[in-house]
Amino acid sequence: MKTKLLIFLAMGMLAITSCTKYPPATSRLTEDLVIYTKYDVSVNFRDYKTFAIVPKITYINGNDSSYLTDANAMALLNRIAADMTDRGFAKVDSNAHPDLGINVTAIKTTTSTVYYPGWYWGYPAYYSPDWWGYPGYDYYYPYYPTYITSYSSGTVIIDLVDFKVKKDNKIMVRWNAYIRALLTGNHTQSEILQSVDQAFTQTPTLKTTPLAN
Amino acid sequence: MKKIILILTVFVFIAGMAQSQDKPASLGFKPSSYYTFSWNTTFTMGDFNKWVGNTSPAGFDLGGRYFIQGGWVAGFNITWQRVSQSYGYQTAYFTDGSAITATNYRFTWMVPFQGVIAYHFVPDKMVSPYIGLGIGGDYMEHHVLIQEYDIYKTRWDFSLTPEIGALIKFGYFSQWGALVAFNYKWTTNKIDFEKYNWTSKDLQMLNLKIGLTYILR
Repeated sequence: MKTKLLIFLAMGMLAITSCTKYPPATSRLTEDLVIYTKYDVSVNFRDYKTFAIVPKITYINGNDSSYLTDANAMALLNRIAADMTDRGFAKVDSNAHPDLGINVTAIKTTTSTVYYPGWYWGYPAYYSPDWWGYPGYDYYYPYYPTYITSYSSGTVIIDLVDFKVKKDNKIMVRWNAYIRALLTGNHTQSEILQSVDQAFTQTPTLKTTPLAN
Repeated sequence: MKKIILILTVFVFIAGMAQSQDKPASLGFKPSSYYTFSWNTTFTMGDFNKWVGNTSPAGFDLGGRYFIQGGWVAGFNITWQRVSQSYGYQTAYFTDGSAITATNYRFTWMVPFQGVIAYHFVPDKMVSPYIGLGIGGDYMEHHVLIQEYDIYKTRWDFSLTPEIGALIKFGYFSQWGALVAFNYKWTTNKIDFEKYNWTSKDLQMLNLKIGLTYILR
């Protein structure tokens, strides 16, 4: 009698502890591509006409940083530039005082990592405000950025910075995109470029009226 | 699958009715009450099925029923249930200027609590089929998980649950037994995520309960 009662109670406790509200993380957090974007809702991108993009992708691997310049990296940079052009922005050289600048970073990790936006700005290979011709300036988020948790082995980050409206020696980040799992090697070049397109597609306000010729 | 479960439940029900004629009337006893602990499998229906189409075995049920007169019992049921399903890539937009495109995972977590009245046709027999009706409410949380993002709404509702089942004693005089029951549940609960472009009303489901019963004389 006591044994049966104990079995009954044990089953009850097992059920209570196993039937949690949230499903197991392994069944809902995957290493599939995740495209996350955020923009400064106070900014009107129609006030901006030109942009420049860095010539290389900053590559952060552990504590080291370097540059990616291979064909895949160039294809990624070209696609970002093409998406900006499609939205009415004119591409200019970095020394031509563009309204907007685009920095691109690739982060390779082999462990679960929490990315707080902007931590990668401190790496030597990251394109600082100095490189853009603004020594003594710092990058800054005018909106509350959201960190992203990575369970995958790579993330590509695109920062769109504002050279037109500067305040207190700060260069504002007006839009950023995190594309997770781009560096896992599981995705084709076409999927990678489509992910870049999606980052722009899901920010419909990121467009301007082209300058008259 | 649903048909098989329905056929099995009806079979148990009919078998219980039939055995009342085969066994001597002196065998068995009429319980004064019984307590159930059941594993609950949920089959969503209608709009709810479009929200989450998967059959879900994640659920359990606790109940107590007391014989009030003849074969009539009154009691209660408290249940924990979760239905969930993973979906493909979708984009969610938020008012703070952020947007995310990723695989989506939807789930609804339910805590129904109901008063129950039921009628046992042959309460003193080893297999005792019954029909019943549960009346009560549910606490439901509807979630959309987009990787790290959790968009959810909480809803309370009114619900009705007609049920057929059988209490099966492990022996003619055993105080332990099994419960097999099948019910249809109608609720006033709804799912409405404007930004996710989703609305479902009057959530309905079928539930299969299989469990242990402790019977008091």
